[in-house]
Amino acid sequence: MFDGLIMLGGGLAHFFTPLSLFNIAWATLLGIVIGALPGLTATMGVALLVTLTYKMAPDQAILCLMCLYCGAIYGGSRTAILLAIPGTPASAATTLDGHPLALQGKAGTAMGLATTSSALGTIIGIVALALIAPLLAEAALKFGTYEFFWLALFGVIISGQLTAIDDPLKGYIAGIIGLLIAMVGMETLHAHQRFTFGIPALGGGFDLIPAMVGAFGLAEILGVMKRTAQARIVSSDDRVIPRLSDVFQYKWTTIRSGIIGTFVGIVPGVGEDVGAWASYAAAKRVSKEKHLFGKGSQEGLIAAETGNSAVIPGAMIPTLTLALPGSAAAAVLIAAMFIHGIRPGPLLMTENPEFLYQIVAILLFSTIAMLVFGLTLTRPLLTVLSVPRERLMAVVYVLCVVGSFAITQRMFDVYVMLGFGIAGFILREMKYPMAPLVLGIILGDLLDLNLRRGLLLTNGDPSPFFTRPISAVICIIIVLTILMSIPAVSTRVRSILNRGRTGASAKS
Amino acid sequence: MTTESSIPDDDATQPAMVRADLLAGLFFIIVGLAVFYGAWTMDRLEMRRIHPLTVPGLVPGMLSLALVICGSILAFRSIRTPATGGWQQLGGAVFSGAAGRAVAVMVLALIYTLGLVGTLPFWAATGLFVFAFIMLFECWLAEPRRPWLTSLPWALALAVCTAAVVTWVFERAFLVRLP
Repeated sequence: MFDGLIMLGGGLAHFFTPLSLFNIAWATLLGIVIGALPGLTATMGVALLVTLTYKMAPDQAILCLMCLYCGAIYGGSRTAILLAIPGTPASAATTLDGHPLALQGKAGTAMGLATTSSALGTIIGIVALALIAPLLAEAALKFGTYEFFWLALFGVIISGQLTAIDDPLKGYIAGIIGLLIAMVGMETLHAHQRFTFGIPALGGGFDLIPAMVGAFGLAEILGVMKRTAQARIVSSDDRVIPRLSDVFQYKWTTIRSGIIGTFVGIVPGVGEDVGAWASYAAAKRVSKEKHLFGKGSQEGLIAAETGNSAVIPGAMIPTLTLALPGSAAAAVLIAAMFIHGIRPGPLLMTENPEFLYQIVAILLFSTIAMLVFGLTLTRPLLTVLSVPRERLMAVVYVLCVVGSFAITQRMFDVYVMLGFGIAGFILREMKYPMAPLVLGIILGDLLDLNLRRGLLLTNGDPSPFFTRPISAVICIIIVLTILMSIPAVSTRVRSILNRGRTGASAKS
Repeated sequence: MTTESSIPDDDATQPAMVRADLLAGLFFIIVGLAVFYGAWTMDRLEMRRIHPLTVPGLVPGMLSLALVICGSILAFRSIRTPATGGWQQLGGAVFSGAAGRAVAVMVLALIYTLGLVGTLPFWAATGLFVFAFIMLFECWLAEPRRPWLTSLPWALALAVCTAAVVTWVFERAFLVRLP
């Protein structure tokens, strides 16, 4: 307990230097701008910034990436409120009540509440990160090769299920494609090259950063540029800094949304958008002002913004303790950590325990920066929204090319970016989610290695995969998740449950 | 001010999506079978006497079967779902103005990445790409189109600035040998 507090103090002191504060300021501001610009997402921003930070000291590089991530998730709310277009997918739920509030002449109030809610959501998530991550890391030390196989499979399945709620089949297909992509290159058990077709550059497989820059950068550019319709910015003249009574009027909604967002963040590969929607739906279900939702409800706006921001620290819990990314942007952060020699996973708390508290400190500092910029820079951020996309996207594509090239200085990575960009665009147009695909690329090696290593250890006997307690539990969850995604099964289960409830109420 | 919007109408695109799912399902079945063949014929390293259940092709083979199953379900579901006028809608979507704009971006990106970068100095290739991109999308493919005299100074200025700043930052500050 006290060790944790001392290390948190150490983390805060570590970044309380002029250089770190400067990095926090520009990275958070850049994140807000990226998030506010439609077509630029948090994942894309983090992936592009990896290139610009790889010459920095590891702590400063992770600081910049984390601050940009937080800023971008918050920045999307500006566009959602003023233009009715989510700046990032995470702000889609914000649009529902943020824009109607702006149309009622309360754009400033909406922006202020979005800012404070984002800050409070991040703080709830930070508390959970500081409390849960050390416990999970300790529990993860008991995980063996069998458990890690199931965890990798669980990550892909649950991500496929939750990021494509309307059609989980497409989420599963995206996950399988990601896992298959990870099979390319040298496998680690017998050092055999798979699916390289004699191309030396494929020997190391596909690098994650160029793949992510393509899937989240070029694909996004194609998606934005294909549209022609235009939207109008709603002007903002009212007070931006909210009254304390406005902020605390919905304190239970804030706490509930923060907890939901954090939990969604802990689930591997399920991003901020799901956090926002889940919090919004929960708030609507229990609200006394249900009729206002979708028409300019402050409670709805608070739920959505608290929910999406709480996902960020929540996502860092599995990212740091299990090396399972909690969101797509966290996947890029894992890649960046490896580039900088930081190994996330169960051994993190043994090898580098202060790093976890440095992440907590970074999130706290970036929350403060977000609060300051969000409440003060209303006018300059409005100017940012007026940048024509035709001019912006040309520059962004150049950054995608240079960003893919710069890390290993191979043109092959640029071709990978191009391929993933075009394939990612086509898949997105057909409603395939990108998060399971990315998770599959990251977890493919873990899944492959642990399955075969487990079979090697038992001389081909698969029973420990099903008989060890943790393995069995994860296996059952996976089977239930897949079964419940089959419409015939889920309908049948729901009807049985409803019948049971009706029977019970009739008896009483 | 302006930015994009227009959220696609899901109901309107439903029949087209059903037909697109059929094509995608067939594609995934073919890919899955090809990967399975690759995994089945992959070296089983008998010379090294490894356990047969740890062969390198095991996981790719299992994944390819999963892809074939999912692709089959997708295709089967699509065949069973009524989608009147689906093929026409899908054709319309593929040859629509929106698809044309996406193809225009792809063509520009391919010309820049595969043709110009490496052939011309990086700054020149970048400047040309940015200039062409802005002019094409502001003066020809925009709705409403902008007068080219308004766009020209912006396109020129941004092309020069992007080429100079990106080249300088990466070559001088990050010591990257640009292609």
